[in-house]
Order: sequence, then C-alpha cells, then structure tokens
Amino acid sequence: MRLPPFALDEPESVPEAVEVLARLDGESRVIAGGTALVPTMRLGLIRPDRLVSLHRIEGLRAIRVERGALDVGATATLAALAGHGAVRSGWPLLARAAASVATPAIRSTATLGGNLCYAEAASDPAPALLCLDAQVRVADAMGERVVPIGEFFTDFYETAIVPGEIVTGIRVPSAPPGARSSYVRFCPRSAEDKPLIGVAALVTLDGSGRVSQVRIALGGAAPTPILARRAAAALTGEGLTEAAIRSAAEAAAAEADPLSDLMGSAEYRREMIRVWVRRTLLSLRVASGLEL
Amino acid sequence: MIPLDFTLNGRGCRAEAPAHWTVLDLLRDGLALTGTKDGCGEGVCGTCTVLLDGEPVRACLILAARLRGRTLITVEGLEQDGEPGALQATFARAGAVQCGFCTPGMLLSARALLAANPSPTEREVREALAGNLCRCTGYAKIIEAVLAAAGGR
Repeated sequence: MRLPPFALDEPESVPEAVEVLARLDGESRVIAGGTALVPTMRLGLIRPDRLVSLHRIEGLRAIRVERGALDVGATATLAALAGHGAVRSGWPLLARAAASVATPAIRSTATLGGNLCYAEAASDPAPALLCLDAQVRVADAMGERVVPIGEFFTDFYETAIVPGEIVTGIRVPSAPPGARSSYVRFCPRSAEDKPLIGVAALVTLDGSGRVSQVRIALGGAAPTPILARRAAAALTGEGLTEAAIRSAAEAAAAEADPLSDLMGSAEYRREMIRVWVRRTLLSLRVASGLEL
Repeated sequence: MIPLDFTLNGRGCRAEAPAHWTVLDLLRDGLALTGTKDGCGEGVCGTCTVLLDGEPVRACLILAARLRGRTLITVEGLEQDGEPGALQATFARAGAVQCGFCTPGMLLSARALLAANPSPTEREVREALAGNLCRCTGYAKIIEAVLAAAGGR
C-alpha cells in the first residue's frame, strides 16, 4: 500500500532544516530513520503535507566523545551506537539498550533522536538516558536550547519539542567512577517486540559496600519513560541486600503509573515492575561481586 | 519526481520516483524487480529486506529519495551468471525454502551477516535473522542453510 502523497524537503544543514521548518505552513513532520513515522503514516494516524528529511545532514550522524561526555548526533543509528567501541566501553548501559531495540534491519535505520521524539513509553534507550542524566540538544530558527532528558517526555507520545524545532543531538555525561549498570527488558511474546517493561539501573557503592548513588528508570511503566525516584531513595545508603532490593522493587511498583493495553493490564505491569526491578538489582549485586 | 542515481546490484541505475515512494515502491512498481516482497508494510515481517550500503534495511520503511548516491542489493543481485548464487543454492539444497515468500529477506539478512562475520555461531545466525518471519518451515532448516553456507558446504 502506497503512502499518501506529500512534499519532501532534504536540507543539507541544520540551519537550512530549521529555516525550512520555520517558513512552512500546513502539517509538516521531521523524518529521520522513518521506522516509526512511516508506519504511523501508513496507518493513517497522521497525514503530513510535507516531510523534512534529515538524511543529507552529514554532521548529524556523528558519535563523539568530548571532555568525558558522549555526544550522539540525532541521526546516529541505534546499530551505530550499539556497535561503537567507545560507547560500549564507556557507556555500556546505553550500548546495551540500543542493541535491544527491535531487529537488526530496524536498528540499522532507526535513530536515537527519532526514538526519543517518537516518545514511546516503552522505549529501550530512554531509561538508559534517564539513568545517565542525558541532555537533549534542540535547535530552531532562533537558536539552540538544551532540554534535560527528565523534562523531555511530557505525556503519552508527547515531548517538549515544539513545531519548528528539531533535535540535533544527545549529550551523555560519564557514569560515576565504579558505577555498575544493567538494562533488562521483559517481552512476554517475541524478543523483537517493544518490551512490556524495561528497567535500567545504575548503582555506585561506597568503600563499605553501601549504595552511595543510584538511579533506576523504567520503560512501559507510565505514559512516559520515568525515573523511579522512590525506589532509588529506598536503596540509597543501604547495602545491596536482598531486603533492600525487595523494598526498592516494592517502591518502584508503587510509584509507577502503568497503562492497560493489549500487551498487559495495569495490574500485570505493576507486578512485572516489581519482579523485574528486583531481578535487575540482583544482577547488579552479582556484578558487584556480592553473593546472590 | 525526484531523479535518483544509485548503484543497484552492482550496476549504475538512473531512475525517478515521486517523493512519497518508498524503496519498495520503486523496486516493484518503478523497476519491475518483484523479488523483493511486499509483506506487512510496517517493518515487522522482514520479507522486503534489502542491503543499503551493505546493511540490512526494510525497503517498505525507507523513502526512495534516500537511495541517491548509495549502493543497493536486492535478491536479484545474488544471482551469479544467471544462476542462483552460492547462498541461494545452499538454501535450496538444505530445504530452507517452502512457499518462498520470506526467502528474499532471509537471504539478504544472511548475506549481511556472512559479509561481517564469515563463521557465525548458531546464536549469531538466529540474532541476524530475527525479524524475518517464516510461517512455513519453522526456521530450523533456514538456520542450517546459513550455517552450511558459512562452512562452505
């Protein structure tokens, strides 16, 4: 089945792209990889008059490490991110989350910026970026601004991006020295599906084995990807004991705001949040050399 | 119409396509190359998988305009001198083809894997073929065929 007709702009730079977006009327959409936008158009959920494609903007694909922070261009693909040596060694949580999305022929096309702008509640990369306190770089015809990832997702499939703006990149600080991290996704059906629940956790222990810093983030647990702040608070200052992990998992389940859909009811999701937060933290206990 | 110059199955190709055409529309309706199948249209079933600059992609999701200056391989490009290529012949020998609808996507995903990793493990084959749905054979013979092609058998 053909897509409904639309006009196509193919700017070659960010200034050109934002200038095109600023002067358009009618409904225009920015297209990066297209793995989310094209099916959405084919289903008739949106009918843009015009697409502004970012594929000719060479610099937007770059993945760089600058002064200890990772800078990912908005149109870097998830495959490029998952396979990048510096990302795998310095930001393994993000590499693992990117490698978890869908299938090889989707990851080769789908972009990190596109994944964030689609704002799927069960995004795999989003919980990793929430744990790592990433910042999203945004540009429009007036200039640039930075949106903390914690403020980027505003509602179900909604973001802080306003018409005329594009995401240009994602800046990811280094994790604290000695931090351990894990991303675990639970798919009740096939592995290439979006997860029912995704759990990212980043834990730093002090010299006496107590949790000095921790972030836990969840996909599929609310209308947007979220930080589980109460779960993190329950673990801070504690040892990574079975009891502390259990209470953090209970806190995560309690603070989640899951939706019911064809994949699972809200009650089932809440129960699976409890189960998978616990398992994710237990895996970090093992990774920290403590006994299970 | 958007003029497009790109490399298709090893040869220069000059074509044009409306802005809203995908690579799949151009292949099947513009160029009459119907080896690439039109399955789900939303990137899930895998039968439209083609290689863009060597990487497996879904032809149903990518706008044709993105082909400009790039290299595309479709299942027609796997032939050698008008005969099935080595990977295709191995699929036939292994009984990895039943109705044939998923076969083009399986072949191209396997080709991308073997180009990057000439001696994959069974797990690596399974991961590379993920997202190519077969509703006939149950995958076992397809995985055997890819492992056999890697072993040169």
